[in-house]
Amino acid sequence: MPVTRYTLSGAARGLKAFVNLEAGVVRDGTKADHASRPARGEASRDGEMERLRRLLTERDTELAQLRAKVDGTSGVRPDRIIWIFGTGRSGNTWLSSMMGDLEGHDVWGEPRVGLLFGEFYYGSFEGQRKSKNFILGEKQKATWLRSIREFVLDGANGRFPGAEDGYLTIKEQVGSVGAPLLMEALPESRMVLLVRDPRDVVASILDASRKGGWHYERRKDDWGHTSTADEDPDTTVRERATRYLRQVGGAKQAYEVHPGPKALVRYEELRADTLGTMRRMYSELDITVDAEELARVVEDHAWENIPEEERGEGKFYRKATPGGWRDDLTPTQARMVEEITAPLLNEFYPP
Amino acid sequence: MSTLGRKILDAARGLRSSLGPVGAGAEARKGADPSESQAQAMQRLRKRIGEQDTEIRELRARLAEGAANAGQGGIRPENVVWILGFPRTGSTWLAHMMEELDEHAVWREPYVGALFGNLYYDWVGEKHFETRHFVLGPRFRDSWLRSIRAFILSEANVRFPGLGKDGYLVIKEPNGSVGAPLLVGALPESRMIFLLRDPRDVVASRLDSVRKGSWLYQRRVEEGGGRTAMFNMQENALVEKTANGYLRSVRNVKEAYETHEGPRVLVKYEDMRADALGTMKRIYSTLGIPVENGALERSVREHAWEAIPEDQKGEGKFHRKATPGGWREDLTPEQVAAVERITAPLLEEFYPAVDGEKARP
Repeated sequence: MPVTRYTLSGAARGLKAFVNLEAGVVRDGTKADHASRPARGEASRDGEMERLRRLLTERDTELAQLRAKVDGTSGVRPDRIIWIFGTGRSGNTWLSSMMGDLEGHDVWGEPRVGLLFGEFYYGSFEGQRKSKNFILGEKQKATWLRSIREFVLDGANGRFPGAEDGYLTIKEQVGSVGAPLLMEALPESRMVLLVRDPRDVVASILDASRKGGWHYERRKDDWGHTSTADEDPDTTVRERATRYLRQVGGAKQAYEVHPGPKALVRYEELRADTLGTMRRMYSELDITVDAEELARVVEDHAWENIPEEERGEGKFYRKATPGGWRDDLTPTQARMVEEITAPLLNEFYPP
Repeated sequence: MSTLGRKILDAARGLRSSLGPVGAGAEARKGADPSESQAQAMQRLRKRIGEQDTEIRELRARLAEGAANAGQGGIRPENVVWILGFPRTGSTWLAHMMEELDEHAVWREPYVGALFGNLYYDWVGEKHFETRHFVLGPRFRDSWLRSIRAFILSEANVRFPGLGKDGYLVIKEPNGSVGAPLLVGALPESRMIFLLRDPRDVVASRLDSVRKGSWLYQRRVEEGGGRTAMFNMQENALVEKTANGYLRSVRNVKEAYETHEGPRVLVKYEDMRADALGTMKRIYSTLGIPVENGALERSVREHAWEAIPEDQKGEGKFHRKATPGGWREDLTPEQVAAVERITAPLLEEFYPAVDGEKARP
């Protein structure tokens, strides 16, 4: 992991909080008094704002550590979890590979924990959710959100022991329908909303789902697997566009209310200026990374460095060309995607 | 996580929710409303810092309090009694009788088995079980079973705070029985009732319940309480769907029953109908739960079929006919054949043909 100011100061604050707690020192409100003390004079206002922001950050760190103690969890720190939500075929693997190659960063690839809780919760009916018996009933939400929190942290700690000081990226595009629940359960975690033009997303999965395509080959032996991509591509287009709406819609809903650090990343920006986009993303996530190391991982995972034989139609790495849908989808299919995903398309890709 | 830890966290959660969103440092950093003056922004930050300090003090106090109360617990895992099987098998009747007994409470249909079972058994392909990443992957089975255990006990304690460590919590879970192996795997010391009924009668009962005007139709369609697709299905398709659901669910309950380490008992609906008191005595004796005979007799009597008012029984009602073998009058030969074909492995084991009767055409 790069030695950063953030890491060092965070560790120092952690030590301080730990010592205070173990020694039984009770906060006496002094800091709160300081916080409430107004600054005098125009010139000092900027400095006062800065001081207040610093106090907020310090308390965030201390709260995260106290909550971890209360949770009974150690290991992966909730505030060092970075979720990637969105939908498949949006550059999730590419982005998470770059993030995972940074020192001290790990990637939990598609645990489907969002699918577990989200599909169940949002697939239930209002009457169920209002019942006190229902395991995810509204009245007990505070309790089961805590249970979800523990479920995620236990799963993370089991897989990534010794990750206390690092960052854990959880690539969970498939479970994005559950993003609102996960982010509410782990409000101090960080979030990347990764979006791509839905027409390109659908074009990509349509290609992958045809016989011989990488997705078809991977799934063809699964029980109950069927693909309409060859015989009835319009049905595939409709299903995938609907899935896009559901997954990206869930991720967007979580993004809008998430109080922790977050970044919106468009695949198209990532393609046009990978390094610049990665820098912006880490800045918005409030994570300091070594500039040279970031440049190196971007270079390592560049499209141009993928061997030619691993790219092309039917392959996992297909064309990576924003706007390629114009060649891949029929006008009817494009219109179908536009109609189904209109609320998101209009916001992220206005005409 | 310990009960102690849970109590602490409950309190912390409650406090946190009363304070509003956390991670507000980030909220402050992300930028203020453009119309907000600097003075207003500073006031907002100070307010939030005050809230943070309150939460910090409370968390510290809770940790200290938790240390002092270590060792006190809620519902004991071995006092959890699962009723697993499939809907329309008498689970409501059984749960009612059990609920009447002292120190018994019933958690009706939490769907916790469906929560975990749907993903594990239905929503992912085999290949996901080969990766270390899948949240319910085999390599981390012990870990996530512990998480499921904590999940269930935590939610049970929140819903039944007064039951205490000596009480029994009956969890009636016919609709979540697909996850039975995960539930009893997570709580191996719990007790389990495998409640079974002839699948042909189950299907006949289901068919009756989806007719317009039925109790289920009223609940789902007229009161808008849930899934309605079944009411629009062609009858024979619904027969097959229900039979497949029965197979999927009861097969998993059977697997759970065969591997469960805790006290367990197999109960057939038909036995309960023939001799409710005798069957109840057998259930409690096999599960190793002491009950007072008089209380058991009273409970059985109060919930007997004969005690249900006549106007609450009959076609289209929740209490329909309670007649084992009634499927012969309710299903067409084609429907019987479909159910017998689909559920054959279970039918042959639990309801073999008798007296020369041909089980399957």
